[in-house]
Amino acid sequence: MDLKNINPFIDAVTEILPQFGFQSLIQKGFSEKSKKIIASGVVITLGIVGDKKGNVVYCINQEGAKQIASIMMMGMPVEELDDMAQSALSELSNMLTANACINFSKEAVNVDISVPTLLFGENIELNLNKEEIICVEFDVDGIKMEICVALV
Amino acid sequence: MKNLRVMIVDDSTFSIAVLKKMLEKDGLEVVATALNMKDAIEKAKAIKPDLITMDMTLPDGNGIECSRELLKHVKETKIIAISSMMDEEIIEKAKNAGIKAYLQKPVDADGLKAAIEKLFAGEELYQILQDNYEEAFKESVFTFLKSELGGEVELENYQLKYKGVRKSSGISVAVGMIGRHKGRLIIDMSSNTALNMVKKIVQDENQTLEEAIQFLSEFTNVIAGNACSLLNGLNRSFGLRVSPPTVIVGEDITISIGDMDSKSFMIKTDLGEAFMNIGVQKGDESWI
Repeated sequence: MDLKNINPFIDAVTEILPQFGFQSLIQKGFSEKSKKIIASGVVITLGIVGDKKGNVVYCINQEGAKQIASIMMMGMPVEELDDMAQSALSELSNMLTANACINFSKEAVNVDISVPTLLFGENIELNLNKEEIICVEFDVDGIKMEICVALV
Repeated sequence: MKNLRVMIVDDSTFSIAVLKKMLEKDGLEVVATALNMKDAIEKAKAIKPDLITMDMTLPDGNGIECSRELLKHVKETKIIAISSMMDEEIIEKAKNAGIKAYLQKPVDADGLKAAIEKLFAGEELYQILQDNYEEAFKESVFTFLKSELGGEVELENYQLKYKGVRKSSGISVAVGMIGRHKGRLIIDMSSNTALNMVKKIVQDENQTLEEAIQFLSEFTNVIAGNACSLLNGLNRSFGLRVSPPTVIVGEDITISIGDMDSKSFMIKTDLGEAFMNIGVQKGDESWI
């Protein structure tokens, strides 16, 4: 498994999440997928173009997404995934991906990102049409967050 | 450049006079001047200038501190630092504070004009994008469907039922557009409509759902690509490129359109209808 495309995202998570006040950040294992991702909860996808081209997908379950949104909004209670919570999560994905771009640029790889697209539901099938999708799982204060990177 | 309202912050009345003359010569309106941080913040809050030129040394603070404070109140205002001091460390601090450009004193008129033009070029360009993206995408969809499917093709404006979200009809494709400014295209249709379309286009009744998904992915990609080419043709500075499509398939999926400037349409064809949303967003100005 080639981790060079996912490492900039791992570094981004490690740098950005503690800034929001997340206490514990544990990196779990890697996994490899092909073409498709199946996820339930909240899924945020961003396009990437430049020296590398593809997509990054962030997957969090519904409850976890609400908790993350709440922490990002200074502990404001988030009962449902309303406009504000969706906006907070989109912004987080934007910050993480932009930071990953900066990390890529340190390796002389220049990439640019699209605006995030956020979706939610059950059994969401995402077709990224790339043979190799590298995923990493994080435990963020007990919330499972998976990042999948399909870049060529 | 015309009609830009500027405030000059500088502890030297001489520098203020020189900058004022330069800016006014370029057709900008100097709406305020401030000799210190306190005065700068008060005036900026009241006047909300488009641009502020910021000295780094002020009697009651420094330009970095002052800019940071100002941007809390006037988020849309752009700040150019103009100072006799200039080294990597202070440039880095200026960037982090939200300052958009850094010029060293004595500043020459051409350099100042070029920096301001570059800083505000994005604004005009964004206006051009806002004025033209709808037509570009409509034309792109219409041309594709007319030539590939034939029959009646109509595009109707569509109002999202719930603010900012769309319940997927079965298959949705999102394609990002990335350039000086950004955008995104979403096309959503039922698997039946996608199947009907792919069967008609490839003239094969045995097409599968998998093939319909592939078709919709490529369809969205082509629509976005052609529309971006049309827009880039209007102004090359857009530099729009299309990111690879993400196809989303499922029975119970809600897509958040988000709070960007977007327009939704219902594409009506003889083989079924499709939802289309196009959104644009102002890109970040890069450091000058």
